Amino acid sequence: MESRELPLKHQLPISKIEKYWKGLEEGKVYKTVCSCGREYYPPQADCSFCMKETEWVEIDGVGEVEAFTVVYSVPKGFEFARSYTIAIARFGNVKVMGWTEKVKVGDKVVLKTGKDESGVWKVYFEVI
Amino acid sequence: MRVGVVGVGCTKFGKRDITLQELAFEAVSEALKDANLTQDQVDLSVVGCVGTRSYELMPAVPVNEYCGFSGKGPIRVEAACATGSAAVYTAYTSIVSGVVDVAVAIGVEKMTEVETSVSLAVGGRAGNYLWEFHQYGTTFPAYYAMHATAHMARYKTTEKQMALCAVKAHRNAKNNPKAHFQREISVEDVLSSRYICYPLKLYDCSPISDGAAAVVLASEKVVKELNLDAIWIDGIGFSSDTSNMTKRDGFVGLKATVDAAKMAYKMAKINPSDLDLACVHDCFTIAEIMAYEDLGFCKKGEGGRFIEEGESDFGGKIPVNTFGGLKAKGHPLAATGIAMVYEVVKQLREEAEKLQVDLKNYKALTHNVGGTGHFCWIFIFSR
Repeated sequence: MESRELPLKHQLPISKIEKYWKGLEEGKVYKTVCSCGREYYPPQADCSFCMKETEWVEIDGVGEVEAFTVVYSVPKGFEFARSYTIAIARFGNVKVMGWTEKVKVGDKVVLKTGKDESGVWKVYFEVI
Repeated sequence: MRVGVVGVGCTKFGKRDITLQELAFEAVSEALKDANLTQDQVDLSVVGCVGTRSYELMPAVPVNEYCGFSGKGPIRVEAACATGSAAVYTAYTSIVSGVVDVAVAIGVEKMTEVETSVSLAVGGRAGNYLWEFHQYGTTFPAYYAMHATAHMARYKTTEKQMALCAVKAHRNAKNNPKAHFQREISVEDVLSSRYICYPLKLYDCSPISDGAAAVVLASEKVVKELNLDAIWIDGIGFSSDTSNMTKRDGFVGLKATVDAAKMAYKMAKINPSDLDLACVHDCFTIAEIMAYEDLGFCKKGEGGRFIEEGESDFGGKIPVNTFGGLKAKGHPLAATGIAMVYEVVKQLREEAEKLQVDLKNYKALTHNVGGTGHFCWIFIFSR
């Protein structure tokens, strides 16, 4: 027999990282940098080590793909996609996750931003 | 103070149409019987359960009650797929501290109560929800698949080498009555199975299984007083890594494994070559290849060749996952780490029947990873 249904849909608290999400809408991808020299991506408003507030810095330039996969067995919440490619690319001192087209390890990529079919903003890589 | 494993129990893994507590009871009753102890001789119960796929969201008390341990704890622990080992550690330290003499560690997981796409969405949250699953739909296979593409690019590791891990797992599981899949598969079966997350195919992935395992630990004092048969915990290592994949140094291994292994070898005062066998965390075939390297069984980048040359099979340099691995025995998250202890204890007691390894030093290792190296726990045992 079946259990009672328990729908879980959360409100995501993004007040401390709002600049990141607004940046995506403007085509920008931000990391945060602490005066101690540490850089954070995904960005965080606090430095985990020296406990200071970090500063927002845009990531640009050319990145290099270090790992990727093509997801064919799609999880709940991504039914709009038959498959999608996730990659991780290095941009200087930080690594960024993003969706991309056909890609291989070592490929050079640039950053784009956009919304998927479910309305979630994210990073896309364009292979150059 | 030394702590010994004095009783072990493990259910049959697979799709089990019984409740979480009924499943735990099967493992606990076997472990208590094996130890020749009763509930009133146990001081503390530690219940490991990830629990995110089951309807019983706070499972420790229902499990404890059904197993006859009400009043003895429980402590509930969670460390993703390494939950079982975290439960063993909690029981171990409770004894070493002198607070208790006998403790039971239970690992139980019901994974088949939700549909597969939900299970993938839960597993995909085993990193950092907001920055990974929410935006990019990472799944648990996807995390390891990214390690696979990095390993293939750096070391020329092949899909065929990964397939060999699955073939070995199934060949061993055929002789393990507790295994989810007791049938052999061929390299061709693996290579022709559908992609789940490139380059990982269906047969590169551990299945979705229900299962439970339990161990009874006792202080050396109690072992001697009651004249119990003990397998000793000689070494423990633990470590962890960032929740976000993007904050890792690289993707060709798991740093948490490397660090935990160093700690465990140092405490046990042994080298990898002193081990008679190992149980490693092969939730995906690439995970087994990386484990060979990260645990020091071979050099970095040589894991593919290690499986190809039979070094991890019976008669090889170190037999690995003679029980069928997570790949073919199954991977009911919280049960996994404790089920590894179960298999190692059976081996060190020379009770593993058709799967028995020839023992020289009577030393074995368990390697239990949570998430994708988000946690790692290693134990070294001796007889």
